[in-house]
Amino acid sequence: MIIDRRTLLIGTAGGVAGLTIIPAFGQVPPLKKKDHYKVGFAQTESNNPWRLAQTASMKDEAAKRGAQLVYTDAASSAAKQVADVNSMIAQGVDFIFLPPREEKPLIPAVMNAKKAGIPVLLVDRNVDPSLAKPGVDFLAFIGSNFVLEGQRVADWTIEKTGGKGKIIELEGSVGASPANDRKKGFDDTIKAKAPDMVILASQSGDFARDKGRQVAETLLQAHPDATIVYAHNDEMALGAIAAIEAAGKVPGKDILVVSIDGEKDGVQAIVDGKLGCSCECNPRFGPAAFDILYKYANGDTIPPMIINPDRFFDASNAKEVLPTAF
Amino acid sequence: MADAPTIGRKGASFDVAAFFRRYAALTALIVLLAFNFAVTPNFASWQTLNVNLTQVATIVIVSVGMTLVIATGGIDLSVGSLMAISGALAPMIFLSSFGLSYPALGNALAFVAPVAIAGMFGLFNGWFITRFRVQPIVGTLVMFIAGRGIGQVLTNGNLQAFKNPTFQFIGLGRVFGVPCQVIIMLALVAAAAWTLRSTLFGRQILSVGGNERAAWLSGVPVASVKRWVYAISGLCAGIAGLVVVSINSSSDANLVGLGMELDAIAAVAVGGTPFTGGQATVVGSLIGALLIQLVRYTLLANGVPDAAALVVKGAIIAGAVWSQQRGKPT
Amino acid sequence: MSPTDPLLVMRDVNKRFQGVQALSAASLEVEPGEIMALVGENGAGKSTMIKVLTGAYRRDSGSIVFGGEPVDFASPQHAQHGGISPIYQEINLVPFRSVAENIFLGREYRRYGLLDWGRMNAEAADLLRRFAVEIDVRRPLMDFSTAIQQMVAIARAVSFKARLVIMDEPTSSLDEREVSVLFDVMRRLRAEGVAVIFISHRLDELYQVCDRVTVMRDGRTVMAGRMGDVDKLHLIAAMLGRDLETVRAHSTGFSGAHAAAGEVVLSAEGLQIGRKVRDARVEVRERQIVGLAGLLGSGRTEVARAIFGADPADAGTIELGGRAVSPREPAEAIALGVGYCSEDRKADGIVPDMSVRENMTLGILPRLTSMGIVDEARQREIVDRFMKRLAIKASSAEQKIRELSGGNQQKVLLARWLCTDPKLLILDEPTRGIDVGAKAEIQALIRELADQGLGVLMISSELEEITEGADRVFVLSDGRTVADLPHAEASAAAIMAAMAHGGAEAGEEAVNG
Repeated sequence: MIIDRRTLLIGTAGGVAGLTIIPAFGQVPPLKKKDHYKVGFAQTESNNPWRLAQTASMKDEAAKRGAQLVYTDAASSAAKQVADVNSMIAQGVDFIFLPPREEKPLIPAVMNAKKAGIPVLLVDRNVDPSLAKPGVDFLAFIGSNFVLEGQRVADWTIEKTGGKGKIIELEGSVGASPANDRKKGFDDTIKAKAPDMVILASQSGDFARDKGRQVAETLLQAHPDATIVYAHNDEMALGAIAAIEAAGKVPGKDILVVSIDGEKDGVQAIVDGKLGCSCECNPRFGPAAFDILYKYANGDTIPPMIINPDRFFDASNAKEVLPTAF
Repeated sequence: MADAPTIGRKGASFDVAAFFRRYAALTALIVLLAFNFAVTPNFASWQTLNVNLTQVATIVIVSVGMTLVIATGGIDLSVGSLMAISGALAPMIFLSSFGLSYPALGNALAFVAPVAIAGMFGLFNGWFITRFRVQPIVGTLVMFIAGRGIGQVLTNGNLQAFKNPTFQFIGLGRVFGVPCQVIIMLALVAAAAWTLRSTLFGRQILSVGGNERAAWLSGVPVASVKRWVYAISGLCAGIAGLVVVSINSSSDANLVGLGMELDAIAAVAVGGTPFTGGQATVVGSLIGALLIQLVRYTLLANGVPDAAALVVKGAIIAGAVWSQQRGKPT
Repeated sequence: MSPTDPLLVMRDVNKRFQGVQALSAASLEVEPGEIMALVGENGAGKSTMIKVLTGAYRRDSGSIVFGGEPVDFASPQHAQHGGISPIYQEINLVPFRSVAENIFLGREYRRYGLLDWGRMNAEAADLLRRFAVEIDVRRPLMDFSTAIQQMVAIARAVSFKARLVIMDEPTSSLDEREVSVLFDVMRRLRAEGVAVIFISHRLDELYQVCDRVTVMRDGRTVMAGRMGDVDKLHLIAAMLGRDLETVRAHSTGFSGAHAAAGEVVLSAEGLQIGRKVRDARVEVRERQIVGLAGLLGSGRTEVARAIFGADPADAGTIELGGRAVSPREPAEAIALGVGYCSEDRKADGIVPDMSVRENMTLGILPRLTSMGIVDEARQREIVDRFMKRLAIKASSAEQKIRELSGGNQQKVLLARWLCTDPKLLILDEPTRGIDVGAKAEIQALIRELADQGLGVLMISSELEEITEGADRVFVLSDGRTVADLPHAEASAAAIMAAMAHGGAEAGEEAVNG
């Protein structure tokens, strides 16, 4: 057989493909005790305040603990995030913190880390539980219980409106676990506890203020009888508020707006009376995440799911909370 | 022998099929409007028109510049990033200590400087393309990548939220009931259409796109014309950036103008301006943008998920180009 | 189909474009295995007739019967498969791809699903050898001269095993040897039973090789007969629709009168441009037509472009009106009073989507502008004037220039330069691809303009134009000016001798021959 360019390329491709098929069995890789760790943090994107706060928190904590942080930004691409994790594995990190951009595409990244002997801690977002298990494929998940967040907002809304109203829902990015769970939590609660309430329309605003505004604007125009807007995050809620005002209505009076995250601008909106409530979703993972790392190296058992307690903000406590909001 | 030539075409018999092929986008727009009046809830109201016009205004403003660039046979991928720069600069100016102490001057500067700077980056695009004879798609790629980075560096990636009614008039204000950005949009379309039709500059643009070598040999200042159209495209992007941040009362360099270049290109394509250059219809780009906007609105208001809307958008562009090709003379 | 039936019968064909009746009950009949000449002025309808036959255009009415069957080809590709192979005036091939690829474009050989280059290269080389062309068929087409490219186009058409080959001005870029090779090929095709339609303005060539002739004029077929039965003068008369007596004795439109030359308008010495031009010299005076003769590749166009500022000269001096100049771009040359009508009107001349009016005024647009706005009234007035003066055939000044015939396009381009009111007008092959009538008109016009004071530098490959029209002839050979002949000494023999031998002997030939 002639060794020409084509054969060489096919051979290399085949070889690489073969290497990745090595099956992954066994438990989560262990972590040695060290004074200084090299950790990887593969962030999903940096284009909203929540993410920026999360990154800042991780970097600060890493500096405090004297750890070398390898930081990457996937610019909203799940494929790039997988590549980032692979490059961290190649750089020989001890531990990886990973907020998966989407539930399914990041499974291979988690498996690769396991094969390479690097434990992974999922922060703030989860992977598809049927395909990867905590304690087996990755160490644990730490984050908010998104379903609970949706439920709490639903409960508050039902109480505030007496179980009556027509709802427009602004969803988060398609395929992201917070969007899926916050929808599930809210929608199920409404269906179960408030049969008189109806969700008129539910579209994705991509967790962004401008897109949320445009979608809200369109949906409000098509459904002028809406009385409630439920946004999966504060950014979209703020966009919805702008849309409501542009339509000549008063947010808080004509239309009740509720959301999740508890960011500074959102809390300010509560103080101003425009936003009804916002369930906290704290982005400051740094301390808790590194605590888990050290505990694991020490040999402690780590529970598979660690839920951050979220506070709940509305007019009753917004003013006090404002200074510490992210 | 030929008679003394008459100006204007002699009347031809009315060919219905040819008429629809040429006005495909407009026809589609009318059909879609009819559909919406029948099916979409609460469609027949001034507010709906308002919502759609304001949502489409920024795309049209950018499309005006894009049409001129494409008329020279080029393309500008950097418009979204230039919007981000302009949108990042404006709040930085009127929120600075200078801007707060002299609000009138600060606001005026916040209008002029970001647009001018976006225009200069556009001029840079034009210079880069003509000086180094780089293909426009590659040349403007530089600003496409670097431009957003510049915006992010200026603001450290942070969101700037603000409340400045004077400045925000461009996005939120109305003149005799018509939103300000809609007036700007219509003014720019009219100005560009008139320029192409009646001015020396406009005819030079079309000759450069039609046959650059012939134009150059006839003394047309080809390099200068190209530099100017890219500068104009930059200016349009600058204006659009100001509108976007005004409407949202916030400027996020990460997100402003994201994907705008593709929306503008789509509007120009659907509107009937050929990408080979030499012919242009700014009004066509307006209609193209309206059509795409209306489709988005129709799907959203009727509960179709956003992902499907993207597929439909692609189908429209394909359909538009197909019907234009059919209308070409045999 | 019986052996005596005609191969092709086109009858009562009509075609109308935007107000102009291009074909009016036109007809064409071709027997199998004959070479048919198709002649006519530009705008007579020859090209339209061919395009209707091959399916590039749809006819409005009429019948086409090919090989005994009525046909209606929907596209040139259909016609190709049906056995009709056209070769157009502009070589419609892909310059960046190899010669073999171009020959097999659209019907490449495959092996196991992949392209079979070996077979294609071999067959392409064989095919070209039949034309006595030996080249490396793997090299890109653009590496070769226009003449070779033409041969490739012909080889491609022939390789389709056509029953009818249509050649539209195939010899316009070929030299004498290449033309005779082409004629041999045509005779061979005839012997194999393939019919050829040969469209050309070069009447002498047609007499060499064609069996019959069809003459078209103003969209109609006005004459069809055996080539041997029609003499050249009758042919021209039929084409022009004029009486025999009024057809001029001269073969060109140059009247032969030569006014006295005035001041020196252009003087170029020692020009060196790239590798093509090594030492060129040229001089033009007012009221003078100076011919620049030379073979393909001798550097004539390069000299013209350098004077016009389109390409930089590496060395040498250019003086306009006694002042040394070095224009760096055409706009500067135009401002200095120079006009340049380029050789390739498709690539360098017309802006295809613009109207006749726009194309004509492209060079003077700034002069018609005040405060940035174009004065359309003045523009229209100028356009009307020139359309009349040059007898430009178009449905109106607004018609798109790409719809005009080649000759009329050339007239528009000429008008473009005349509008600029130049002192020196450089014409590069001004009558190439133009019919007899328009050619004569343009030649007469050039003489008239010169008589009125213009200095003209005319590049032409047609010797009659040079020998009859030029007051003075410079001959370029291999980038050097090898002869400087006054009109009296500039016979065809002298010029060709200069091209061939370069210099000293040219003078002798002129005296002796």
